[in-house]
Amino acid sequence: MANINLKKREVECKIVYYGPGRCGKTTNIEYIFKTFQKQVTGDMITTETDGDRTLFFDFLPMGLGKIRGYDIRLQLYTVPGQVKYSATRKMVLREVDGLVFVADSLAVRRKKNILSLKDLHENLKEYGLSIFKIPLVLQYNKRDLAEQGIPLMPYKTMERDLNRQLKAPSFPASAVKGDGVGDTLKTCIKLTLKSLKKQMGW
Amino acid sequence: MDIKKEIKSLLRHAELYKSQGLLNEALEQYIQAGRMLKKHAARIGNTKLLQAVAGRIRDLKAEIARIDASPDMSEVTEKAQNIIKEKFAFAEKEESRDLEGAVALVRFGQFERAMREFRQLMGREEFKLDAAKNIIRCHVTLDALDDAAAQYREWFDNEVLSAEELNKLRVFLQSILDKKGIRETLPVREPAPTVRPTVVEDQGVMDGEIIMPELVEVEVVGEEISEEEIIDISSVEITLEEGPGKGRTVEYDVSFQSGRVINLLISSSDKTLIETLRTGLELKKVHFYSPIAMFNGEGVVFSKSRIESGPKQGDYSLDIQIQHIR
Repeated sequence: MANINLKKREVECKIVYYGPGRCGKTTNIEYIFKTFQKQVTGDMITTETDGDRTLFFDFLPMGLGKIRGYDIRLQLYTVPGQVKYSATRKMVLREVDGLVFVADSLAVRRKKNILSLKDLHENLKEYGLSIFKIPLVLQYNKRDLAEQGIPLMPYKTMERDLNRQLKAPSFPASAVKGDGVGDTLKTCIKLTLKSLKKQMGW
Repeated sequence: MDIKKEIKSLLRHAELYKSQGLLNEALEQYIQAGRMLKKHAARIGNTKLLQAVAGRIRDLKAEIARIDASPDMSEVTEKAQNIIKEKFAFAEKEESRDLEGAVALVRFGQFERAMREFRQLMGREEFKLDAAKNIIRCHVTLDALDDAAAQYREWFDNEVLSAEELNKLRVFLQSILDKKGIRETLPVREPAPTVRPTVVEDQGVMDGEIIMPELVEVEVVGEEISEEEIIDISSVEITLEEGPGKGRTVEYDVSFQSGRVINLLISSSDKTLIETLRTGLELKKVHFYSPIAMFNGEGVVFSKSRIESGPKQGDYSLDIQIQHIR
């Protein structure tokens, strides 16, 4: 649940970008950092290791203005995608309010997407959260690579693989170019705020 | 498809996957291309290309090995450490968050910074003992038991900790040293003599130090337990209730403890145990050993991850959340 500071009249919401390794989670946050400068309230913090892989998380603070006199602060995080960083992913997921699942559109990454979504489902369960109830948006990234002749999964296949049961809002995207990044974030924020309003009884 | 075109396509995909950082996928494409080049060598006759592909395969394998061997717990920037300290402390009580933030630094492998934070927290009466224990735990996790003992001796020589606190710390550290087979006896601080108060009665003030017994009686805890109620657990004995090792009892030292979550390191050779102790498994029969007593209880496997580098590479790190002790 969002961190609510009644004294300061501040609400902190946490949105986590989840997905398999190299799917473009950090690229999403980098694009948001560059493009949404008015809303960004601090530096983007990255913890990269060899080969541009995220070691622990990326972090980007944003401000969304006021709702009912409360200053709404948003914190965007990414998790490390590599399978071996399972414990870190779980730590980053703690007290999450909204989720963006970034799936890789490359056909060769089909299984990795499914395993990562399953991993998310399991980790949420351990915090007593349901993947069916938490604000969640799916993003099918790297659609631009079709131009380069790399075999991509059709949008329908990705929907069937990942979103058949969830029925979450989903967007095709190219995080490198920025296509779909804003729509994904805005939809996730909308769902997260809707859930927050419900929690706060607003 | 024409063989040459097929090989060309494989090589192009390999390059594209490599540019995406998908090294294993790129490797797979190069290997396939290499096989086809060998198979149809007579028809294609391009030995230079085969050599080039072999070179790419070699380079990629080396790159993958290098990335796999990179440390999981590198020191990150101070800004990132600040985020860990501030944002990964979730205690409801604001005053407890400083200690939890320092513990979060440990969990992310930021030991040096964590120890600095714990040293600062030692200046606050309510955290003094916990912070001191966590400094010792950092040294133990880093396999620096000599440093742990030296740290204890430093505190022993100065007046930072009271005799009671020093004794608690000594019992805690001595049990770890004994378990690790290190022959070192930590010095014992004799309790200061009790000074009778000279002030008039009924003021409720004693100007002498109140001497507490060395070992306080441990409260028997019934159902749910809070972080504050958890005592230091030095080792656990778990009876497996499922899997191929059903009925088997295993004993492990606790490598680290954060509130009611204890961490165990399981050897990679114990495959049955690693498979059985899956995340979420409820452990109904657990004996928790503290330096002062033994408790029965229950726990749940909170997380399990393979250690990918360092001296314990290949072994598994297991977090168990203590649910009940009685």
